[in-house]
Amino acid sequence: MGSITTAQFKKGIFIEFRGEPNLMTDMTFVNPGKGSAFVRTKLKSLTSGKVIEFTFKSGESATELDVITREMQFLYKEGDAYVFMDNTSFEQYNIRETLLSDFVKYLRSNDTYQVLVLHDEAVGVRFPKKVWLKVTESSEGIKGNSSAGATKTVETETGAIVTVPLFIKEGDTIGIDPETGSYLERG
Amino acid sequence: MKTWQKLKKNPSLWQQYFIRERVLRAIRLFFENQGFHEVETPILILHPPAESYVEVFETTILDRYRKKTHAYLSTSPEVPLKKLLVAGIGNCFSITKSFRNTEMQSNIHNPEFTMIEWYRIGVPYTEIMKDCEDLLLFIHTYLLRTREASDQQATKDLIYQGAHIDLSKPWERFTVSEVFLKWANVSFEEFLNFDTAKKIATKKGYRVEKDTSWEELYNQVFLNEIESHLGRGKPTILYEFPSSLAALAKTKAADPRVAERFEFYIEGLELGDCYSELTDWKEQEKRFGEELKAIKKSGGTTYEYDKDFIVALQSGLPECSGIAVGVDRLVMLFADTAKIQDTLLFPVEELL
Repeated sequence: MGSITTAQFKKGIFIEFRGEPNLMTDMTFVNPGKGSAFVRTKLKSLTSGKVIEFTFKSGESATELDVITREMQFLYKEGDAYVFMDNTSFEQYNIRETLLSDFVKYLRSNDTYQVLVLHDEAVGVRFPKKVWLKVTESSEGIKGNSSAGATKTVETETGAIVTVPLFIKEGDTIGIDPETGSYLERG
Repeated sequence: MKTWQKLKKNPSLWQQYFIRERVLRAIRLFFENQGFHEVETPILILHPPAESYVEVFETTILDRYRKKTHAYLSTSPEVPLKKLLVAGIGNCFSITKSFRNTEMQSNIHNPEFTMIEWYRIGVPYTEIMKDCEDLLLFIHTYLLRTREASDQQATKDLIYQGAHIDLSKPWERFTVSEVFLKWANVSFEEFLNFDTAKKIATKKGYRVEKDTSWEELYNQVFLNEIESHLGRGKPTILYEFPSSLAALAKTKAADPRVAERFEFYIEGLELGDCYSELTDWKEQEKRFGEELKAIKKSGGTTYEYDKDFIVALQSGLPECSGIAVGVDRLVMLFADTAKIQDTLLFPVEELL
């Protein structure tokens, strides 16, 4: 635990905000017209799972929370909890669905993930920049879009719906950015 | 991956970038139809307009004997345009690159950006409000008219990030005082007093430190509690700013604590900033002096203010109003992108 200033803010850090642990899910600078610099963040409360937006004065300080990363295997989903097992201690940890948000769509059973642990509680997964998943269902429907060309949607083995170029077929493995959910490349 | 690589890989992305050329054509046509002159203003300058919140890019001019002169990249075309107004050009505009250092790591800023700035002679800033309404409607209509056959699904409504925007006139108009009351539940009258503002901010849970300025308190309340409500479904014109936040604007005759300045917002995004221009050279020189002092105090890059501009004002700037609108943000709006970087073929992040 330590005091940091907005200069050390980045996506994915954990800070204490108004007495609660929070995950910073987004961070961007803003300069209002005729004003000094501010740092706009999105903070997800680890207690309630709610996301709020808060704008800090540039240079303002906050308390960073010590979160450690452990390698764990994803086992299964139970209710609104995702159950993981620590690869070294074999201890099981539950992560609530709200803390995983859209990442749940890319979790594959038996795969190993970097799980974030705060005060011996699993609070999230640090996803890689790219996940590789198999396409299990591909519609032939063409979706016209005003800004993009011809695309279609496919479903992956984990149930994620992804917009892809027309050449992607059932059985292909595709790379997806789990952050944005967008298609990156064909494997 | 660089943008050019993404485009090579996925040619359908081009459409989003081609919106810019059409927006630029529409802007030029809009002003041409009204007899405005388009002028080019310099990017390489010796005296940036003194603004304490804007950091500049420095460079050097070398003469034939490599004798150095300190120079800067223009932060706005305002000063050269005003000199031309003094010289008698009449209604005019400039579409130009402007540079503001440090403005990175943001979805709505790029340190090199494109600005359209226009001036109308003999009118108060309320006339520029009407220009904004007309200009955005004009661009939208132009884009619909020139859309490609593949864009069949483009509708009459402007859609930005899933929200339908009704551009029809008149837009919503609120004073700064009204939005403080409406969304932050703060009496702006009281907030204008620095000590009261500190108390209000502390009570709201903002950190107030020894060196926290009134401007920071104002903007923290504004950014946290107000900005995101502006321009929802319909553009909002926010007007009558505190005078301390309007270095180049005229103050309102009936209440000198507020200045004739407005901004307009669509879906929480600020697109333009307008004033009734300050024509009093003494007041202008005084404000430049104050701004330069503030720059020195904050450790920013220092420079001298443009004495030639003061000389120009002495010979008489006609009554006029002008506005700067971020062209990249207009493109964001019409191309429906969440990030300014997605409108730029070479965003700064790809250079670093």
